[in-house]
Amino acid sequence: MSHNDTIPLYQSSQSDIDEIENMMNNNSFQSGPGTVLPAQPPSPIRPSIPVSSSPFVQSNLAPIPPSSAQKVTPVPMPPPLPPSGNSSSSEGSKTIGGSGFGSPPNTLTEPVWDTVKRDLSRIVSNLKLVVFPNPNREDPGKALRDWDLWGPFFFIVFLGLTLSWSASVKKSEVFAVAFALLAAGAVILTLNVLLLGGHIIFFQSLSLLGYCLFPLDVGAVICMLKDNVILKMIVVCVTLAWSSWAAYPFMSAAVNPRRKALALYPVFLMYVSVGFLIIAID
Amino acid sequence: MDPNQMQAPVENYANPKTCLFHVLFKGAALAFYILSALFFNSFVIIFVVTVLLAALDFWVVKNVSGRILVGLRWWNEINDLGESVWKFESLDQDSLARMNKKDSWLFWWTLYLAAAAWFILGVFSLIRFQADFLLVVGVCLSLNAANIIGFTKCKKDAKKQFQQFATQTIASRFQSTVQSAFTLV
Repeated sequence: MSHNDTIPLYQSSQSDIDEIENMMNNNSFQSGPGTVLPAQPPSPIRPSIPVSSSPFVQSNLAPIPPSSAQKVTPVPMPPPLPPSGNSSSSEGSKTIGGSGFGSPPNTLTEPVWDTVKRDLSRIVSNLKLVVFPNPNREDPGKALRDWDLWGPFFFIVFLGLTLSWSASVKKSEVFAVAFALLAAGAVILTLNVLLLGGHIIFFQSLSLLGYCLFPLDVGAVICMLKDNVILKMIVVCVTLAWSSWAAYPFMSAAVNPRRKALALYPVFLMYVSVGFLIIAID
Repeated sequence: MDPNQMQAPVENYANPKTCLFHVLFKGAALAFYILSALFFNSFVIIFVVTVLLAALDFWVVKNVSGRILVGLRWWNEINDLGESVWKFESLDQDSLARMNKKDSWLFWWTLYLAAAAWFILGVFSLIRFQADFLLVVGVCLSLNAANIIGFTKCKKDAKKQFQQFATQTIASRFQSTVQSAFTLV
Protein backbone atom coordinates (compact mmCIF):
# COMPACT_ATOMS: atom_id res chain seq x y z
CA MET A 1 0.00 0.00 0.00
CA SER A 2 2.85 2.35 0.51
CA HIS A 3 5.81 2.14 -1.70
CA ASN A 4 8.81 3.95 -0.51
CA ASP A 5 11.34 5.87 -2.38
CA THR A 6 13.56 6.76 0.44
CA ILE A 7 15.99 9.47 -0.13
CA PRO A 8 16.00 11.06 3.26
CA LEU A 9 16.58 14.73 3.12
CA TYR A 10 18.28 15.42 6.36
CA GLN A 11 19.42 13.28 9.18
CA SER A 12 17.16 15.03 11.57
CA SER A 13 14.10 14.39 9.51
CA GLN A 14 14.43 10.64 9.63
CA SER A 15 12.29 10.54 12.73
CA ASP A 16 9.78 12.72 10.96
CA ILE A 17 9.73 10.22 8.16
CA ASP A 18 9.13 7.39 10.57
CA GLU A 19 6.30 9.25 12.18
CA ILE A 20 4.75 9.97 8.83
CA GLU A 21 4.96 6.26 8.04
CA ASN A 22 3.38 5.31 11.32
CA MET A 23 0.59 7.77 10.89
CA MET A 24 -0.17 6.51 7.45
CA ASN A 25 -0.06 2.90 8.41
CA ASN A 26 -2.32 3.48 11.35
CA ASN A 27 -4.88 5.46 9.46
CA SER A 28 -7.51 3.31 7.94
CA PHE A 29 -7.73 3.96 4.26
CA GLN A 30 -11.29 4.15 3.32
CA SER A 31 -12.41 5.51 0.06
CA GLY A 32 -12.70 8.91 1.60
CA PRO A 33 -9.33 10.46 1.71
CA GLY A 34 -10.36 12.72 4.51
CA THR A 35 -7.30 11.25 6.16
CA VAL A 36 -4.12 12.99 5.76
CA LEU A 37 -1.66 14.14 3.72
CA PRO A 38 -0.37 16.63 1.40
CA ALA A 39 -0.06 17.02 -2.28
CA GLN A 40 2.93 15.86 -4.18
CA PRO A 41 4.62 18.46 -6.24
CA PRO A 42 5.34 16.68 -9.49
CA SER A 43 8.66 18.30 -10.08
CA PRO A 44 11.52 16.00 -10.91
CA ILE A 45 14.05 18.02 -9.03
CA ARG A 46 12.51 17.64 -5.63
CA PRO A 47 14.17 15.23 -3.27
CA SER A 48 11.76 12.62 -2.16
CA ILE A 49 10.75 11.18 1.13
CA PRO A 50 8.95 7.92 1.70
CA VAL A 51 5.33 8.30 1.15
CA SER A 52 2.39 6.43 -0.17
CA SER A 53 0.65 7.66 -3.21
CA SER A 54 -2.98 6.82 -2.76
CA PRO A 55 -4.57 8.90 -0.06
CA PHE A 56 -3.10 12.20 -0.98
CA VAL A 57 -5.22 15.18 -1.48
CA GLN A 58 -3.88 16.70 -4.61
CA SER A 59 -5.19 20.13 -4.93
CA ASN A 60 -4.22 21.66 -8.20
CA LEU A 61 -5.91 24.68 -9.51
CA ALA A 62 -5.70 25.37 -13.20
CA PRO A 63 -2.48 27.18 -14.00
CA ILE A 64 -3.07 30.85 -13.65
CA PRO A 65 -1.48 32.73 -16.56
CA PRO A 66 1.40 34.78 -15.27
CA SER A 67 -0.01 38.07 -16.35
CA SER A 68 -2.90 37.72 -14.00
CA ALA A 69 -0.81 36.67 -11.09
CA GLN A 70 -0.15 39.34 -8.58
CA LYS A 71 2.28 41.80 -9.99
CA VAL A 72 4.39 42.55 -7.06
CA THR A 73 7.91 43.83 -6.99
CA PRO A 74 9.72 42.35 -5.28
CA VAL A 75 7.65 39.77 -3.58
CA PRO A 76 9.67 37.39 -1.53
CA MET A 77 7.74 34.19 -1.96
CA PRO A 78 9.99 31.25 -1.18
CA PRO A 79 8.08 28.07 -1.76
CA PRO A 80 8.72 26.17 1.41
CA LEU A 81 10.34 23.23 -0.23
CA PRO A 82 13.79 21.84 0.06
CA PRO A 83 16.33 23.21 -2.36
CA SER A 84 16.64 21.58 -5.68
CA GLY A 85 20.03 20.36 -6.29
CA ASN A 86 21.81 17.27 -7.29
CA SER A 87 19.51 14.81 -5.66
CA SER A 88 17.52 12.96 -8.21
CA SER A 89 14.07 11.83 -7.44
CA SER A 90 11.44 9.91 -9.22
CA GLU A 91 8.18 11.26 -10.47
CA GLY A 92 5.04 10.24 -8.77
CA SER A 93 4.96 9.94 -5.08
CA LYS A 94 6.90 12.56 -3.37
CA THR A 95 6.04 14.75 -0.56
CA ILE A 96 7.24 17.93 0.81
CA GLY A 97 10.17 17.71 3.12
CA GLY A 98 10.25 18.30 6.80
CA SER A 99 8.00 21.27 6.71
CA GLY A 100 5.21 19.57 4.79
CA PHE A 101 1.78 18.98 6.10
CA GLY A 102 2.39 15.30 6.22
CA SER A 103 2.37 15.07 9.96
CA PRO A 104 1.29 18.31 11.48
CA PRO A 105 2.57 17.63 14.99
CA ASN A 106 6.09 17.11 13.70
CA THR A 107 6.30 19.83 11.14
CA LEU A 108 4.64 22.34 13.36
CA THR A 109 7.24 21.77 15.99
CA GLU A 110 9.92 22.03 13.37
CA PRO A 111 12.21 24.71 14.58
CA VAL A 112 11.99 27.89 12.59
CA TRP A 113 15.72 27.67 12.06
CA ASP A 114 15.24 24.65 9.84
CA THR A 115 12.91 26.53 7.55
CA VAL A 116 15.25 29.49 7.53
CA LYS A 117 18.23 27.31 6.76
CA ARG A 118 16.36 25.64 3.95
CA ASP A 119 15.41 28.93 2.40
CA LEU A 120 18.95 30.22 2.74
CA SER A 121 20.37 27.18 1.05
CA ARG A 122 17.85 27.60 -1.72
CA ILE A 123 19.08 31.12 -2.27
CA VAL A 124 22.67 29.93 -2.43
CA SER A 125 21.86 27.15 -4.86
CA ASN A 126 19.87 29.46 -7.11
CA LEU A 127 22.72 31.91 -7.08
CA LYS A 128 25.19 29.23 -8.07
CA LEU A 129 22.93 28.04 -10.86
CA VAL A 130 22.44 31.43 -12.37
CA VAL A 131 25.66 33.28 -11.94
CA PHE A 132 28.37 30.68 -11.99
CA PRO A 133 29.24 28.32 -14.81
CA ASN A 134 27.63 24.96 -14.37
CA PRO A 135 26.21 22.27 -16.64
CA ASN A 136 22.60 23.15 -15.90
CA ARG A 137 22.90 26.43 -17.71
CA GLU A 138 22.38 24.64 -20.98
CA ASP A 139 18.83 23.88 -20.00
CA PRO A 140 17.46 27.15 -18.78
CA GLY A 141 14.03 25.79 -18.10
CA LYS A 142 15.32 23.53 -15.41
CA ALA A 143 17.81 25.84 -13.89
CA LEU A 144 15.61 28.27 -12.03
CA ARG A 145 12.79 25.85 -11.37
CA ASP A 146 12.84 26.68 -7.70
CA TRP A 147 12.63 30.40 -8.12
CA ASP A 148 12.46 32.55 -5.08
CA LEU A 149 12.45 36.26 -4.66
CA TRP A 150 14.38 36.56 -1.43
CA GLY A 151 17.74 36.54 -3.22
CA PRO A 152 16.81 39.30 -5.65
CA PHE A 153 15.32 41.29 -2.80
CA PHE A 154 18.56 41.14 -0.83
CA PHE A 155 20.68 41.96 -3.86
CA ILE A 156 18.60 44.95 -4.89
CA VAL A 157 18.53 46.37 -1.39
CA PHE A 158 22.24 45.73 -0.99
CA LEU A 159 23.04 47.48 -4.25
CA GLY A 160 20.88 50.43 -3.27
CA LEU A 161 22.57 50.64 0.12
CA THR A 162 26.05 50.43 -1.39
CA LEU A 163 25.29 53.15 -3.89
CA SER A 164 23.71 55.26 -1.21
CA TRP A 165 26.70 54.80 1.06
CA SER A 166 29.12 55.82 -1.67
CA ALA A 167 27.19 58.94 -2.47
CA SER A 168 28.30 62.01 -0.62
CA VAL A 169 25.14 63.97 -1.19
CA LYS A 170 21.48 63.09 -1.76
CA LYS A 171 21.82 59.66 -0.25
CA SER A 172 18.12 59.06 0.02
CA GLU A 173 17.43 59.94 -3.58
CA VAL A 174 20.19 57.64 -4.75
CA PHE A 175 18.76 54.74 -2.85
CA ALA A 176 15.22 55.38 -3.96
CA VAL A 177 16.27 55.78 -7.57
CA ALA A 178 18.39 52.65 -7.54
CA PHE A 179 15.65 50.56 -5.95
CA ALA A 180 12.88 51.86 -8.16
CA LEU A 181 15.02 51.53 -11.29
CA LEU A 182 15.91 47.94 -10.57
CA ALA A 183 12.48 46.84 -9.45
CA ALA A 184 10.56 48.58 -12.21
CA GLY A 185 13.23 47.58 -14.70
CA ALA A 186 12.88 43.91 -13.86
CA VAL A 187 9.10 44.07 -14.24
CA ILE A 188 9.30 45.92 -17.52
CA LEU A 189 11.94 43.58 -18.93
CA THR A 190 9.76 40.62 -18.09
CA LEU A 191 6.78 42.23 -19.74
CA ASN A 192 8.96 42.91 -22.75
CA VAL A 193 9.75 39.23 -23.10
CA LEU A 194 6.13 38.26 -22.62
CA LEU A 195 4.94 40.77 -25.20
CA LEU A 196 7.51 39.53 -27.70
CA GLY A 197 5.68 36.24 -27.57
CA GLY A 198 8.20 34.58 -25.35
CA HIS A 199 7.55 31.80 -22.90
CA ILE A 200 8.69 32.73 -19.51
CA ILE A 201 7.12 32.70 -16.12
CA PHE A 202 6.74 36.15 -14.66
CA PHE A 203 8.20 35.47 -11.23
CA GLN A 204 10.88 33.19 -12.59
CA SER A 205 12.12 35.97 -14.80
CA LEU A 206 12.01 38.52 -11.96
CA SER A 207 13.99 36.10 -9.89
CA LEU A 208 16.53 35.58 -12.66
CA LEU A 209 17.10 39.26 -13.31
CA GLY A 210 17.55 39.82 -9.60
CA TYR A 211 20.10 37.08 -9.23
CA CYS A 212 22.07 38.41 -12.19
CA LEU A 213 22.60 41.57 -10.20
CA PHE A 214 25.05 39.76 -7.98
CA PRO A 215 28.14 40.61 -10.06
CA LEU A 216 27.13 44.27 -10.11
CA ASP A 217 26.79 44.12 -6.35
CA VAL A 218 30.35 42.87 -6.10
CA GLY A 219 31.46 45.62 -8.48
CA ALA A 220 29.69 48.27 -6.45
CA VAL A 221 31.38 47.12 -3.25
CA ILE A 222 34.81 47.23 -4.89
CA CYS A 223 34.10 50.69 -6.28
CA MET A 224 32.97 51.85 -2.89
CA LEU A 225 36.21 50.74 -1.30
CA LYS A 226 38.57 52.13 -3.92
CA ASP A 227 37.86 55.49 -5.45
CA ASN A 228 40.09 55.34 -8.54
CA VAL A 229 38.20 56.19 -11.72
CA ILE A 230 40.18 53.87 -13.98
CA LEU A 231 39.75 51.01 -11.58
CA LYS A 232 36.05 51.71 -11.37
CA MET A 233 35.66 51.60 -15.11
CA ILE A 234 37.52 48.33 -15.42
CA VAL A 235 35.63 46.72 -12.57
CA VAL A 236 32.28 47.90 -13.88
CA CYS A 237 33.04 46.62 -17.38
CA VAL A 238 34.05 43.23 -16.07
CA THR A 239 31.04 42.83 -13.79
CA LEU A 240 28.72 44.14 -16.47
CA ALA A 241 29.97 41.51 -18.89
CA TRP A 242 29.55 38.87 -16.20
CA SER A 243 25.97 39.92 -15.48
CA SER A 244 25.03 39.92 -19.13
CA TRP A 245 26.63 36.54 -19.64
CA ALA A 246 24.64 35.21 -16.71
CA ALA A 247 21.35 36.49 -18.03
CA TYR A 248 21.92 35.55 -21.66
CA PRO A 249 20.92 31.86 -21.86
CA PHE A 250 17.72 32.26 -19.92
CA MET A 251 16.45 35.25 -21.80
CA SER A 252 17.45 34.01 -25.20
CA ALA A 253 15.89 30.62 -24.66
CA ALA A 254 12.60 32.21 -23.81
CA VAL A 255 11.96 33.98 -27.10
CA ASN A 256 11.81 33.24 -30.79
CA PRO A 257 15.39 33.17 -32.16
CA ARG A 258 14.71 36.03 -34.53
CA ARG A 259 13.75 38.22 -31.61
CA LYS A 260 16.61 37.37 -29.35
CA ALA A 261 18.28 40.72 -29.74
CA LEU A 262 15.04 42.52 -28.99
CA ALA A 263 14.76 40.69 -25.72
CA LEU A 264 18.41 40.90 -24.72
CA TYR A 265 19.19 44.49 -25.61
CA PRO A 266 16.98 46.06 -22.90
CA VAL A 267 18.51 43.77 -20.28
CA PHE A 268 21.96 44.88 -21.33
CA LEU A 269 20.80 48.47 -21.32
CA MET A 270 19.53 48.22 -17.77
CA TYR A 271 22.74 46.73 -16.51
CA VAL A 272 24.72 49.40 -18.35
CA SER A 273 22.70 52.11 -16.67
CA VAL A 274 23.33 50.53 -13.28
CA GLY A 275 27.02 50.42 -14.22
CA PHE A 276 26.96 54.10 -15.00
CA LEU A 277 25.33 54.77 -11.65
CA ILE A 278 28.14 52.92 -9.97
CA ILE A 279 30.85 54.79 -11.85
CA ALA A 280 29.25 58.17 -11.49
CA ILE A 281 28.73 58.00 -7.75
CA ASP A 282 31.45 59.82 -5.86
CA MET B 1 -17.51 21.66 23.27
CA ASP B 2 -15.15 24.43 23.89
CA PRO B 3 -14.02 24.04 27.47
CA ASN B 4 -12.48 27.45 27.60
CA GLN B 5 -15.63 29.47 27.41
CA MET B 6 -15.53 30.58 30.99
CA GLN B 7 -11.86 31.32 31.23
CA ALA B 8 -9.86 34.44 30.55
CA PRO B 9 -9.36 35.24 26.85
CA VAL B 10 -5.60 34.61 26.92
CA GLU B 11 -6.12 30.95 27.67
CA ASN B 12 -8.36 30.52 24.68
CA TYR B 13 -5.49 30.85 22.25
CA ALA B 14 -4.08 27.51 21.42
CA ASN B 15 -0.82 28.87 20.09
CA PRO B 16 -0.10 32.13 21.86
CA LYS B 17 3.51 32.38 20.72
CA THR B 18 2.59 31.98 17.09
CA CYS B 19 -0.19 34.52 17.43
CA LEU B 20 2.28 36.90 18.97
CA PHE B 21 4.72 36.56 16.09
CA HIS B 22 1.92 36.83 13.59
CA VAL B 23 1.00 40.22 14.97
CA LEU B 24 4.49 41.32 15.99
CA PHE B 25 6.08 41.97 12.63
CA LYS B 26 2.99 43.54 11.14
CA GLY B 27 2.65 45.88 14.07
CA ALA B 28 6.37 46.63 14.09
CA ALA B 29 6.36 47.56 10.41
CA LEU B 30 3.36 49.83 10.78
CA ALA B 31 4.64 51.40 13.99
CA PHE B 32 8.10 51.98 12.62
CA TYR B 33 6.74 53.56 9.49
CA ILE B 34 4.44 55.88 11.38
CA LEU B 35 6.81 56.83 14.17
CA SER B 36 10.05 56.97 12.24
CA ALA B 37 9.26 60.35 10.81
CA LEU B 38 9.73 61.70 14.30
CA PHE B 39 13.18 60.28 14.79
CA PHE B 40 14.92 59.65 11.50
CA ASN B 41 15.65 62.09 8.77
CA SER B 42 16.96 59.46 6.45
CA PHE B 43 14.50 57.94 4.03
CA VAL B 44 16.85 55.06 3.37
CA ILE B 45 16.66 53.75 6.92
CA ILE B 46 12.90 54.07 7.02
CA PHE B 47 12.56 52.27 3.71
CA VAL B 48 14.93 49.44 4.44
CA VAL B 49 13.70 48.71 7.95
CA THR B 50 10.01 48.93 7.05
CA VAL B 51 10.34 46.76 3.99
CA LEU B 52 12.50 44.31 5.87
CA LEU B 53 9.91 43.99 8.63
CA ALA B 54 7.16 43.63 6.07
CA ALA B 55 9.09 40.91 4.27
CA LEU B 56 9.72 39.07 7.53
CA ASP B 57 6.05 39.33 8.34
CA PHE B 58 5.18 37.92 4.93
CA TRP B 59 7.47 34.96 5.49
CA VAL B 60 6.18 34.31 9.00
CA VAL B 61 2.54 34.43 7.95
CA LYS B 62 3.05 32.28 4.90
CA ASN B 63 5.24 29.61 6.43
CA VAL B 64 4.50 29.55 10.12
CA SER B 65 1.27 31.10 11.29
CA GLY B 66 -0.71 30.00 8.26
CA ARG B 67 0.17 26.40 9.01
CA ILE B 68 -0.33 26.59 12.72
CA LEU B 69 -3.27 28.92 13.17
CA VAL B 70 -5.50 27.97 10.28
CA GLY B 71 -3.96 24.86 8.79
CA LEU B 72 -3.53 26.26 5.30
CA ARG B 73 -0.63 26.67 2.99
CA TRP B 74 -0.09 27.93 -0.52
CA TRP B 75 2.83 28.14 -2.90
CA ASN B 76 3.75 28.34 -6.51
CA GLU B 77 5.58 25.82 -8.60
CA ILE B 78 6.80 25.38 -12.09
CA ASN B 79 5.81 22.07 -13.53
CA ASP B 80 7.56 20.06 -16.19
CA LEU B 81 5.83 21.86 -19.01
CA GLY B 82 7.25 25.10 -17.76
CA GLU B 83 3.91 26.37 -16.57
CA SER B 84 3.35 28.07 -13.31
CA VAL B 85 1.04 26.19 -11.00
CA TRP B 86 -0.41 27.46 -7.76
CA LYS B 87 -0.65 24.77 -5.18
CA PHE B 88 -2.84 24.82 -2.14
CA GLU B 89 -2.90 22.53 0.81
CA SER B 90 -4.98 22.16 3.85
CA LEU B 91 -5.39 19.82 6.73
CA ASP B 92 -8.14 17.26 6.52
CA GLN B 93 -11.56 18.25 7.67
CA ASP B 94 -11.37 16.83 11.18
CA SER B 95 -8.29 18.79 12.04
CA LEU B 96 -9.68 21.89 10.42
CA ALA B 97 -12.82 21.64 12.50
CA ARG B 98 -10.75 21.26 15.62
CA MET B 99 -8.69 24.39 14.95
CA ASN B 100 -8.96 26.95 17.64
CA LYS B 101 -11.57 29.50 16.68
CA LYS B 102 -9.82 32.35 18.39
CA ASP B 103 -6.59 31.62 16.58
CA SER B 104 -8.18 31.73 13.17
CA TRP B 105 -10.20 34.81 14.09
CA LEU B 106 -7.00 36.59 15.03
CA PHE B 107 -5.24 35.38 11.92
CA TRP B 108 -7.79 36.62 9.42
CA TRP B 109 -8.67 39.86 11.15
CA THR B 110 -5.09 41.05 11.63
CA LEU B 111 -4.42 40.23 8.01
CA TYR B 112 -7.30 42.39 6.85
CA LEU B 113 -6.66 45.18 9.33
CA ALA B 114 -2.98 45.46 8.40
CA ALA B 115 -3.84 45.71 4.71
CA ALA B 116 -6.46 48.37 5.45
CA ALA B 117 -3.97 50.32 7.56
CA TRP B 118 -1.36 50.29 4.79
CA PHE B 119 -3.99 51.38 2.30
CA ILE B 120 -4.92 54.36 4.45
CA LEU B 121 -1.26 55.30 4.90
CA GLY B 122 -0.89 55.08 1.14
CA VAL B 123 -3.76 57.47 0.64
CA PHE B 124 -2.08 59.89 3.04
CA SER B 125 1.21 59.81 1.24
CA LEU B 126 -0.62 60.23 -2.06
CA ILE B 127 -2.35 63.31 -0.77
CA ARG B 128 0.96 64.73 0.37
CA PHE B 129 2.61 63.91 -2.95
CA GLN B 130 5.37 61.93 -1.30
CA ALA B 131 6.39 59.48 -3.97
CA ASP B 132 9.14 57.98 -1.82
CA PHE B 133 6.83 56.93 0.93
CA LEU B 134 4.28 55.79 -1.58
CA LEU B 135 6.91 53.32 -2.76
CA VAL B 136 7.31 51.92 0.74
CA VAL B 137 3.58 51.68 1.28
CA GLY B 138 3.16 50.09 -2.13
CA VAL B 139 5.65 47.34 -1.35
CA CYS B 140 4.15 46.58 2.06
CA LEU B 141 0.62 46.64 0.71
CA SER B 142 1.46 44.22 -2.06
CA LEU B 143 3.10 41.82 0.38
CA ASN B 144 0.00 41.85 2.56
CA ALA B 145 -2.29 41.51 -0.43
CA ALA B 146 -0.33 38.52 -1.68
CA ASN B 147 -0.84 36.73 1.59
CA ILE B 148 -4.52 37.57 1.79
CA ILE B 149 -5.19 36.40 -1.74
CA GLY B 150 -3.13 33.26 -1.30
CA PHE B 151 -4.82 32.19 1.89
CA THR B 152 -8.31 33.05 0.71
CA LYS B 153 -7.82 30.97 -2.40
CA CYS B 154 -6.44 28.19 -0.26
CA LYS B 155 -9.46 28.24 2.02
CA LYS B 156 -11.87 28.14 -0.91
CA ASP B 157 -9.92 25.30 -2.41
CA ALA B 158 -10.07 23.38 0.85
CA LYS B 159 -13.84 23.77 0.98
CA LYS B 160 -14.17 22.63 -2.60
CA GLN B 161 -12.00 19.60 -1.93
CA PHE B 162 -14.07 18.66 1.06
CA GLN B 163 -17.31 18.93 -0.89
CA GLN B 164 -15.91 16.81 -3.67
CA PHE B 165 -14.82 14.11 -1.31
CA ALA B 166 -18.07 14.24 0.57
CA THR B 167 -20.03 13.67 -2.63
CA GLN B 168 -17.63 10.96 -3.66
CA THR B 169 -17.95 9.20 -0.35
CA ILE B 170 -21.70 9.45 -0.37
CA ALA B 171 -21.86 8.24 -3.94
CA SER B 172 -19.64 5.26 -3.30
CA ARG B 173 -21.46 4.32 -0.11
CA PHE B 174 -24.76 4.57 -1.91
CA GLN B 175 -23.42 2.39 -4.64
CA SER B 176 -22.20 -0.28 -2.23
CA THR B 177 -25.50 -0.21 -0.37
CA VAL B 178 -27.43 -0.72 -3.57
CA GLN B 179 -25.13 -3.54 -4.57
CA SER B 180 -25.50 -5.31 -1.27
CA ALA B 181 -29.26 -4.83 -1.44
CA PHE B 182 -29.33 -6.53 -4.82
CA THR B 183 -27.15 -9.41 -3.71
CA LEU B 184 -29.38 -10.05 -0.75
CA VAL B 185 -32.37 -10.10 -2.99
